[in-house]
Amino acid sequence: MSSNKRLMKELGEITASPPEGCTITPPTEDMFIWDVTMEGPTDSVYAGGKYHIQIVLPKEYPFKPPVLSFKTKIYHPNVSNDERGAMCLGMLKAEEWKPPNKISEVLKLVRAVLAAPQPDDAVETGIAEQFKNDRKSFDKVAKEWVGKYAK
Amino acid sequence: MSSQRQPVATASSYYAHQHHPHHHQHPHHHPSLALHPPHPAAFSPAPPSVYHDPAALASLAYRPLQLPLQHATHQQQTASSEQTQLPLAAQAAGPYQHPSFRQHHSNNNNHHHQLSHRSRAQARQRQLSAMAYQQPPTPASPDDELAQLQKLSEAYEPETTGPLVGQRQPSTAITTEYASADPVYQAKTAALPQKYSHYRTVRGDGKCGWRAVAFGYFEALIHHGDPDRFAMEEARLRSMMNVMVEAGFQAMMIEEFAEETISLLRKVAEAIPLGTAEDALSEAFNDQMTQDYIITHIRTITAAWMKTHDENYAPWLLGQTVDQYCNQSVLPMAAEIDHVGLVALKDALLSPAGMSLEVLYLDRSEGSEVTMHRFDPVNAGGYTIGSVRLLYRPGHYDLLYKPEDLPAPPPPPAATAVPTYLQYGSSHDPVYDLGVSDFMTSIPGMSYANLSQPGWMSSSYASGVDFLNTPAPVQACTQALPTPSAPAPQPQISSQPVYVPASTPSQMVPPPTQMPHELAIRTSVAQPSLAHNDFQHQLSIGPFRASAWQYEPDFVSATSQMPFQTSIFRNSHFNTAHFLNPEFQPEQWDPDDEYATATSSTSSKGSRHKTNG
Repeated sequence: MSSNKRLMKELGEITASPPEGCTITPPTEDMFIWDVTMEGPTDSVYAGGKYHIQIVLPKEYPFKPPVLSFKTKIYHPNVSNDERGAMCLGMLKAEEWKPPNKISEVLKLVRAVLAAPQPDDAVETGIAEQFKNDRKSFDKVAKEWVGKYAK
Repeated sequence: MSSQRQPVATASSYYAHQHHPHHHQHPHHHPSLALHPPHPAAFSPAPPSVYHDPAALASLAYRPLQLPLQHATHQQQTASSEQTQLPLAAQAAGPYQHPSFRQHHSNNNNHHHQLSHRSRAQARQRQLSAMAYQQPPTPASPDDELAQLQKLSEAYEPETTGPLVGQRQPSTAITTEYASADPVYQAKTAALPQKYSHYRTVRGDGKCGWRAVAFGYFEALIHHGDPDRFAMEEARLRSMMNVMVEAGFQAMMIEEFAEETISLLRKVAEAIPLGTAEDALSEAFNDQMTQDYIITHIRTITAAWMKTHDENYAPWLLGQTVDQYCNQSVLPMAAEIDHVGLVALKDALLSPAGMSLEVLYLDRSEGSEVTMHRFDPVNAGGYTIGSVRLLYRPGHYDLLYKPEDLPAPPPPPAATAVPTYLQYGSSHDPVYDLGVSDFMTSIPGMSYANLSQPGWMSSSYASGVDFLNTPAPVQACTQALPTPSAPAPQPQISSQPVYVPASTPSQMVPPPTQMPHELAIRTSVAQPSLAHNDFQHQLSIGPFRASAWQYEPDFVSATSQMPFQTSIFRNSHFNTAHFLNPEFQPEQWDPDDEYATATSSTSSKGSRHKTNG
């Protein structure tokens, strides 16, 4: 119950003033699943892309971290290249999650990671290697994927 | 690493070894059979069946004799099952093939009979070493091994069962727990219950320190019992919001955590007059969600306090800023409390509430008692309303209680209930909780006794005086034992005998009030199980005993020489011990007499008990 209160509070805040480049579609049936559309940061290879991110909030929220998944394919070292599109963020790990964290802060961080991938903390090590050693090819594939999947 | 495997391994290696001579005598012996347990029982994956299998037991029993009949049986079994059992055997013995395993067998073959016992121990030892190395089969280097162990240790999740906050229980349970530990722990845990009568387990899920302090904070407030204090705490916690905002937290995000703590404060305060405060507290803390809110709240308070008083804490954080420390060791859900965090939590939550914090370290350090580290409150003019005591065992916190921390005792259970007159205030309340009331009552004048006659008065006189000199916070006692016939607690009765009614009010005799030092006389159903035999014996003599001279003759003779003896008398012929006395009786030294004559009538009564008992 209390969790719902927190969710409603956050939802109200995030709908009223969404983080930059994010649009929140208010959840209709399940309060614990939020759909977010995030624009690729303009100064990154993902510029122009629109990414559908689903946020699944655990029943124990805010004492367990939300789970983020990219429903739109993205070529990024920190997003798993599969149907789950799981994003690996330090602050979203169960042991590092802090209950005062807000979803809008999480989304801000996601956008920052899109702009500046963290290859040392990667889920896709292959992409991370390419990002570090062959930035040109990485940029090329990433841009291709934006055109293919994120328009 | 599964511990279930070990007995199987032991069994199979044991059998493999034990039956080795059979294989040697076998004409078609194959080397691989050395690891092949010939007895079917050895293949059983469940160790108990090995030990319960009569055939296996028989083979154990007759092994040294090497009876021909058994040979035949074993060979037959071996031969017939060789093909089908081999894969199983390999499977069973596979993971345990220590490098020296096979060699061990061939070395000891010839000495089997002489060495059977010793080699069994050796096999066991090897088994243990094999177990130790089993996970990383052959570590390449110590570093790799360490890395492996580190990985295992990180993957290890402690068992987090049991209630989040358990029931308070006598700390003798800790003594029992460590009864078979090494002497340091034995000594420390044996001494523990003397000072800290009770403890309460807190689930070891990484939040135990936070949870224990939070629980202790509420409990100390309950024990203090002042509704105004609850209101003060509520106001203070609300004002802490300012500190948190100053530290950079968003009020909107943290106020719901604070609300949970404050609503529990109110709930508990309301429950105090009903006597259900502890239950309400325990219930709230065993609700995962509620206690998550409260723990998050106190984490946030701690972090905010540290950030706004960083000059006090920064020097203790090695190579970390206060912000980093809070982000890593205070705020995350899984962060365990460490020393700096504990100090900050105490500074932020306990000290302003006038509570002191004690941490009792139970570890293998020198000493025969747990090491106590006391953090006193720094403000409130040194005025302490209560203490939070933590029992620290490396990596885990539980709550500890001194007798004075305990709430007033509940009414004694009906089975042992006697109308009870409490001579003392709260200092002896825990008698009930300790479960030693029997013991206490057997001490003359110590506590209540089931008297129907005032014969014990003289012996208790001294303690009666003590009672009068004791401020005696008896109010708590009478509150705790409310019965319809109980008089309302009145502070002014503290210098009067306080009558505590119990299950048999009709038998009660009002306490005498004529003489200030007189102790209340109680009646009781006879309770032989209460170790009142001594008193009852004493009381069986007569309804009233004016002096010690009315005691049994042996008692009188034991004590008669004492009070009225002067040196003149002793050296005169009126003394029966004098050789000129017509009834001369040589004096015989007796330790009991020595004891009786040494002190007052109180101890002489003790000696009488000895004679009678």
